[in-house]
Amino acid sequence: MDIRVRHASHAYGGLAVLSDIDLVAPAGKILCLVGPSGCGKSTLLRLMGGLERPTSGAIELVGAPPSGCLNELTFVFQHFALLPWASVEGNVRFVLDHHRLSEAERAEIVADVLARTGLADFAEAWPRQLSGGMRQRVAIARALAVRPAVLLMDEPLSALDSQTREILMEDLVGLWTRAPFTAVYVTHNLAEAVRLGHAVAVMSRRPGRIREIVAIDTPLSERRPDDPELERVQARLWSLLRDEAIDADRELVDG
Amino acid sequence: MVDLSPARQPREADARPVPFRGGGFAPGRNRWAGLVVFVALIAFFEVGTRTGVISSLTMPPPSAVAQTLWRLVETGLLWQNLGPSLYRLAMGSLVGCGAGILVGFAIGLFTLARAGLVPLVSALFPIPKIALLPLFVIWFGIGEGSKVALIAFGTFTPTVVATFGAVDGVDRGLIRMAQSFGVPWLRIVTRVVLPDALAGILSGLRVSLAIGIVLLVAAEMLGARYGIGAYILEAGALYDLERLFAGVVILSVLGLLVSAGIGALERRLLRWRG
Amino acid sequence: MTTLATTRRSVLAGIGAASTLPFLPRRARAATPLNLGVLRLTSHAPNYIAYERGYFAEEGFEVELVFFEAAQPMAVAIASGDADFGVTAISGGLVSLAQRGAVKVIGGALAEEPGIPGQVVLASNQAYDSGLTTAAALPGHTFGITTAGSSFHYMLSRVARGEGFDIAQVEMRPLQKVGTIVAALGSGQIDSWAIVPSISNRLLAEGQAKKIADMSQYAPDYQVTTVFTSSAIANDDRARAEAFLRALSRGVNDYNAAFVDKTANAEEQAELAALVGQYVSPDVPAERFLETMTTTSMRINRDLGLSVSSVRDQLDWFKAEGMVPADVTEEMLIDPSFVATF
Repeated sequence: MDIRVRHASHAYGGLAVLSDIDLVAPAGKILCLVGPSGCGKSTLLRLMGGLERPTSGAIELVGAPPSGCLNELTFVFQHFALLPWASVEGNVRFVLDHHRLSEAERAEIVADVLARTGLADFAEAWPRQLSGGMRQRVAIARALAVRPAVLLMDEPLSALDSQTREILMEDLVGLWTRAPFTAVYVTHNLAEAVRLGHAVAVMSRRPGRIREIVAIDTPLSERRPDDPELERVQARLWSLLRDEAIDADRELVDG
Repeated sequence: MVDLSPARQPREADARPVPFRGGGFAPGRNRWAGLVVFVALIAFFEVGTRTGVISSLTMPPPSAVAQTLWRLVETGLLWQNLGPSLYRLAMGSLVGCGAGILVGFAIGLFTLARAGLVPLVSALFPIPKIALLPLFVIWFGIGEGSKVALIAFGTFTPTVVATFGAVDGVDRGLIRMAQSFGVPWLRIVTRVVLPDALAGILSGLRVSLAIGIVLLVAAEMLGARYGIGAYILEAGALYDLERLFAGVVILSVLGLLVSAGIGALERRLLRWRG
Repeated sequence: MTTLATTRRSVLAGIGAASTLPFLPRRARAATPLNLGVLRLTSHAPNYIAYERGYFAEEGFEVELVFFEAAQPMAVAIASGDADFGVTAISGGLVSLAQRGAVKVIGGALAEEPGIPGQVVLASNQAYDSGLTTAAALPGHTFGITTAGSSFHYMLSRVARGEGFDIAQVEMRPLQKVGTIVAALGSGQIDSWAIVPSISNRLLAEGQAKKIADMSQYAPDYQVTTVFTSSAIANDDRARAEAFLRALSRGVNDYNAAFVDKTANAEEQAELAALVGQYVSPDVPAERFLETMTTTSMRINRDLGLSVSSVRDQLDWFKAEGMVPADVTEEMLIDPSFVATF
């Protein structure tokens, strides 16, 4: 299932945040959104996920969701958004409980996603007992549990240290390789974007526009941190972003 | 390798320890200090009253109070008085805190309830509930009704304020998350808002129940033959200091038990906080 | 407060000078300050009379009235030295304070006397209509008291003794204040009560309650209130206590003559009623208050004589009920050396 943004603009009060966005996240691919801070990339993601309504324009779903899909548009949040009073298993079950499933189906889904994210041994743990990386794995497991049509990932690795981030990127690549999923992945980290994105959409500073969409053809499983081709793409992205980032940095926050 | 050796070797005599400046501002735990203060105070009053330094008009010997308490237990008078009080406290705070939590949630969740009820609750909060007792007698009768109503009313407003404050403080990110997974409204309230607000509600209950105990004495001013509050008032009327203090001790213990009960509830329900 | 009292006394001095009372020379001596505990009740009329007519001043006292809501706090205030003298019913609290050596009863005041208005037992209209028409029918009903060990509690015990039922068969309702009991009886929240005629007459006249018995029937010699002071004054300052009793006795004599025996003329009655009314019922018209005083005033013992036998009966009852320790003696409570006893 594709997700399509058509001429969407958005404003908070009088402040234009997004301007005339046209974008397609194709099925089975990861689309990365990068841009200077405050360019509205997270807002765009919330529009795509239906958590906010665009001021003008439209967001459309194209095609049928995959079979067994429980929640078409599923978020992975930067700060994990785990229920602190529920165990790892409880957090996964929380998003399944309101669906008509047999207990056996539920248990099977939980076991499956915990196994896929390497959490099988931590089912009973409280979130506070887990490291940041493990917590984000729980959030990813929870997102996978509802068999989403599109994963909307809002800087999912930004709250983690760089080693953990590296490991989780490999995990995500592994997950996608075994069972390709559709994702829109917001990040400000260009290294993440070139490692995980089949395409990278570069946004301008506020009000955010799509400046350019860069496709990366190397298969995800073959990308390495020191790949010269990827470094070239990353340098190109940075040249696109650099001036915008400098200008964005000088803006008054509430100007 | 970078050379990190100092440019000039200072003499050993110049070495001095870095002064420590980080102490204080972190009260620790000490089980015994409280007990020692308590025992010392009791010993002071015992010696003072026995030797006559403290007049028998102002303070009974603690041992006499203890004897009075023991007699209360022996004669069954304790239960005769404690039973009705516990019933009034339990019913009153059940109704008051229950309604308070419901109204607090309504205020925390609905615009209309917030706009309509917050001014009302703010207006009710500062009313001295004791002043309304005669009115309650007319409304609810001189029997248990007025007593339960007084305690219910007294515990209601602080519970409302604590609850809606706690609901306001619920992590919006978690609600957003639940919505993004299509979790139905009622389930978000029970599985996200309630658990997150629970800590605030429980600490509000601590205050509400303490107020309930204070109001118990006031409630039993009117028409109560038995009850800890009635017992204290009667002891005061008879100027029987031993019984007066015995009653006060019972109330204090009741307060401690209620507080310990909520503490246990917190430890159980808020286990996840570690 | 002190300046206010002085001002009033200056005014009084003027009134006194106009009359023939020779108190100016005495007053010229240094006046002894004296705090007198009073309740806003007609039974405290002699206090107000003696105060307003300068009887206390003539004995060399500079009196300041200390007002109380109930008898119990007044007893505590005398024990603590915040008030020097007071007139109130014998209550469990008073006995306890006497046992602790804090207060002493030194005279008698309000008393039941056949042929003179006395305390009555009342039933609420609702209870009366459903059969509570005599005191014998009290078992199974509720009865209003201020607190356990109050005079109301004692009166109920005397009714029970007289009618031969167990007091436990009547459900007592402690309501702390007389005003609350009045409201509770009027609205039928309690079934019965016993109270002085000045209050009962009003309730009966307004149709708020029904009379079912006279207290004098059960306790003919009942010493309702007594004069008491701190033990320190009774023991070490006899002259002061005697002077106080002398002054108050003159107020009592005026009161009895005007309202109980009615030997005084109408003019005197009206003057005294106005003088008392300003403290007791400032909101009641003068004529109505005069009528209340002339129709409902109970006897106050001449020269503040004390019925020791009645006090003894009350003390024995408190002990029997376990409201005061069993080792309280009559000597702890009463100093009979100040007034005539019987």
